[in-house]
Amino acid sequence: MANAVAAVLLAAVFAGFCTLVLSGLDRPVDWSRAWAYRESLWRGWTTTLGLSLAALLGSIVFGLAFLMGQRSTLPVVRWTCRGFLEFVRDTPLLVHLLFGYFVIFAPLLSRPLAGLGWDDKVIIGIVLLSVFSGAYLGEILRGGVESIPATQWDAARAVGFGPWQVWRHVIFPQALRRVLPAIAGLFVSLIKDSSLLNVIGVSEYFYNTKNFISRSYAGLEGYLPLAAGYLVLTLPVAWLAHWLERRFRDET
Amino acid sequence: MKLDLHNVTKCFGATRALDALSLRIPAARVMVLIGPSGGGKSTLLRVLGGLEVPEQGTVTLNEHRLTGDPRALQAYRRRNGFVFQQFNLFPHLNARRNITLPLEKVHGHPPETARSLADQSLERFGLLDHADKLPSQLSGGQQQRVGIARAIAFSPEVLFLDEPTSALDPEMTAEVLELIQELAEAGQDIILSTHEMGFARAVADEVAFVCSGKIEESGAPQTLFGAPVSPVCQRFFSRVMRY
Repeated sequence: MANAVAAVLLAAVFAGFCTLVLSGLDRPVDWSRAWAYRESLWRGWTTTLGLSLAALLGSIVFGLAFLMGQRSTLPVVRWTCRGFLEFVRDTPLLVHLLFGYFVIFAPLLSRPLAGLGWDDKVIIGIVLLSVFSGAYLGEILRGGVESIPATQWDAARAVGFGPWQVWRHVIFPQALRRVLPAIAGLFVSLIKDSSLLNVIGVSEYFYNTKNFISRSYAGLEGYLPLAAGYLVLTLPVAWLAHWLERRFRDET
Repeated sequence: MKLDLHNVTKCFGATRALDALSLRIPAARVMVLIGPSGGGKSTLLRVLGGLEVPEQGTVTLNEHRLTGDPRALQAYRRRNGFVFQQFNLFPHLNARRNITLPLEKVHGHPPETARSLADQSLERFGLLDHADKLPSQLSGGQQQRVGIARAIAFSPEVLFLDEPTSALDPEMTAEVLELIQELAEAGQDIILSTHEMGFARAVADEVAFVCSGKIEESGAPQTLFGAPVSPVCQRFFSRVMRY
């Protein structure tokens, strides 16, 4: 009963707020403007999808590399890895993108990449995003691996597993289960953060929407599809994570 | 089995867990390590099982001379079974999979063979009904029996058990001890550490008293339990036998 009352109240507040906002607009909502830019917006959205997927794979590669680096038997490798991770995690992504693109990679790679017929902004953007996400993933994985008790390593070695098999069959499956929610959260962030690539001129979804808005003086017609476009990408990841989490919770 | 340890030293930081330990057993079926906690029983067992590499000394079990080479040690571990005090089953795998996974990946059995071997050893220990349960759904005694089933499924040369009943209540202790005795009677070579003196006496044909990282005294159970020579040993027995 109390729940129903609360539902009605919340709905009323939300409706009131929407009416207030909509009545505050100085001109009527005109979807034909968005329709005129549909191709550019669609292209932007597919670019966002593509580069999110690529950066996701890239961050797995970097994340595993950082995990291994931090568990290296050579102290120098461990320290270098730690220092680099600390630097990456404690500086803004925006700075990485601007500095990484304009100062480091564009001068080095733009020509060769253009020679191959590739868009240097997209490639470098994906790499920078992968490194950033990979740094977080590396820390998440390290936490997961360190949470597995030493006795599991003993047991795995005792049954005769080789070093790779210990990881593959005993440590990784258990560690991954424990950190799955954190990884899902990271991947959702990664998709959202891909919008920052607009600062180096990648024509992804945010960049193209911004262009559309500034050229056609659109407002709501631009921002509403923008939000919805990102939700379509992030919600499945979040749902998948919840599902996996529930599945694995029964097992441990 | 035949066992020869010479001057074995193993340190953890500043502690000498094994301190120039030497022991020679020309022939034994079941060897039991007893002694106070922290005396080096577990470390000795882990060295014998190829889980720790001593800093000094030589270890020879049957014709295998243990070295620090990781590959040789892994090959050695593949031949023997090891059972832990805290069971150490793989918690993400059910009881049967805990047994079949090493059979498939380490011993190269095809899945059907691995399954039938696993089911044989589960059946033998009365665990077949629990084959599909995860370790967390089993009692301590059941978990330890799965642990033993996992360790003997591939017919190990020697079975090592590190205080296999210390984490169990008396009833579960009994069920696990019965099983170990059954294995011993079936001819399995066993080296185990325990605090169950009655059991040690009943099952062992060699007993070694480990204290302060050394073998204080060793011999046949009748001699060691009946008339211990070492004062440390006498004191230990008079204390543990009092209640």
